[in-house]
Amino acid sequence: MHWVFEPGFFSSEPVHVALVIGGIAAVVSAVVGVFTVLRGQSFAGHALTDVSTAGGSGALLVGISPLLGFVGFGLLGAGAMDAIGVQRVRGRDLATGIVLGAATGLAALFLFLDTTSGATTGATQQILFGSIFTLDPSEIPIVVVFSIVAVGMIAALYRPLLLASTDTDLAAARGVPVRLVALGFMAALAVAVGLSALAIGAILSTALLIGPAATALRLTNRIGAALVAAVVIGVGVTWLGVLLSYDSYYWVSDQNAVPVSSLIVGLVFVAYLLSGLPAIRRLTGRRTVMVVTEAEEARLRGQRVSSRAAVRSDGDSPRSRRVL
Amino acid sequence: MVAFATAALAAAGCTGVSTAGASTSKVINGIGAENEYANVLGQIGGQYVHVSSILNNPNTDPHTFESSPSVAAEVSAAELIVQNGVGYDTFMNKIESASPNSHRKVIVAQNVLGLPTNTPNPHLWYDPKTMPAVAAVMASDLSALQPGHASYFRSNLAKFNASLTPLHNAIAAFKAKYAGTTVATTEPVADYLLTAMGMNNLTPFRFQADIMNGVDPAPQDITLESGFFTKHQVKVFCYNQQVIDTLTTSIRETALKAGVPVVGVYETMPTPGYDFQTWMLAEVNAIKKAITTGASTQKL
Repeated sequence: MHWVFEPGFFSSEPVHVALVIGGIAAVVSAVVGVFTVLRGQSFAGHALTDVSTAGGSGALLVGISPLLGFVGFGLLGAGAMDAIGVQRVRGRDLATGIVLGAATGLAALFLFLDTTSGATTGATQQILFGSIFTLDPSEIPIVVVFSIVAVGMIAALYRPLLLASTDTDLAAARGVPVRLVALGFMAALAVAVGLSALAIGAILSTALLIGPAATALRLTNRIGAALVAAVVIGVGVTWLGVLLSYDSYYWVSDQNAVPVSSLIVGLVFVAYLLSGLPAIRRLTGRRTVMVVTEAEEARLRGQRVSSRAAVRSDGDSPRSRRVL
Repeated sequence: MVAFATAALAAAGCTGVSTAGASTSKVINGIGAENEYANVLGQIGGQYVHVSSILNNPNTDPHTFESSPSVAAEVSAAELIVQNGVGYDTFMNKIESASPNSHRKVIVAQNVLGLPTNTPNPHLWYDPKTMPAVAAVMASDLSALQPGHASYFRSNLAKFNASLTPLHNAIAAFKAKYAGTTVATTEPVADYLLTAMGMNNLTPFRFQADIMNGVDPAPQDITLESGFFTKHQVKVFCYNQQVIDTLTTSIRETALKAGVPVVGVYETMPTPGYDFQTWMLAEVNAIKKAITTGASTQKL
């Protein structure tokens, strides 16, 4: 056991806080991430991380918790992107790009002020790349509240969100308030990005958002299974990253530990590569199609499916649609 | 016009120009890269030197200073520059080489002390041996610039050295009585002084360097540092007032909760109200007070 868990791992308070906050951030990111990937909004997710960077660095400037800045600015950014036109596929890249650029400029200014006129020397490192071992345990309650809000939002919107994510036109035809659903989702996305930014840094938070979700969606085409798999992968890589970082302290004498965030992001990447191996894909029996839900499937059966999502029957699953 | 004058005054205040001596016909333009060196240069040069400093804000971390065109203009006009070296003020070298001046004299504390560039702890002015050595070079360089006032500079140097006596006595008295007293720190700011006082700094240098460089310490080191307070292994905690983050703040809370007195230490001389000698003496007295009465001196 000593080779896996170096001494003191389970009794270290920084490790406890890292496991709790990292685990919660991973769960929320995985759940929101699955829908982000389904909706093809990875770029929007990344733009929100840049907006969060501005918020987190601004929060340090006024002396409040970076998490409040991450989430607060993330929500503002999500609103701005919606207003400029993120809901239309055509305007989506443009809206995202404009908000991203403005936010990054603001982040550069705030980080400059943090380090040159304030005493927060580690601000750039902390905001961009995370500082999970230095988090204060008093952050945990607010992290829990934000995670409940984000996951609760996804749960409340679950069915219309799923339909709107797989086929916007069909959802609109069915009377789903697509714009409202999109706005609600962006809010959940902003909170997820904020939590992830607190754990592994604003710049890297996309990795925790997209990586486990994309990996899970390569392994299974059932939405429920994909959500579970994304959560397991997300929490797994986060906790393994924390453990490896802790252990790395002993790898070279008188050296510092390897940063947690770089290990977590590395593990996310490895997991994604592994999920593409033919052996693993055979094992999980992933088909090239997405099954929405049994009930949805039954209802869809009678209808001609319109739009971008081209109907493809690949032999072993004639009733399902390809959406990815 | 009034507005303009006010703005000019405000600007002068921002750059921390501290005029030493009246404006005589010929005044040497001197710069101390850090305000503690500027302060001593002002004491030695007296009325024949006009000194300004670059790093003079005690509320920000000098390690993260970024130069500006106005600083470059100030430096290029200077005839005598005093800087720390050891990578602490590398920006000065860049500005100096960008505006060459064969008459300019540059005193680097690192070179005066003969220290290698890879010296781990750059806070040389906290070593009681540093300032007397640097002040002697200041006096001889000032004399080279204005040979007519050499005796004036020499007598100022003697005055400065004499004024250090209370500090050196306080350090010696402390060492005689409290040598081996344990201390924890966030950064190596006052380490040279702590060593001179005979104190035993339990915080590993790796941890201090991590905080100084703005990178995350290992969780093992964080646990170790907190343990110094919760297990009452140290008598006093020296906390750098110029580098504050969630970690150092929570460590300070841990120390205060455990009843370990906290002494705020500064990289830059806190102004107004202090010169170099009284600042150092105040730090020594604050540490002594913490050990004898258990009282914190979080801000000087």
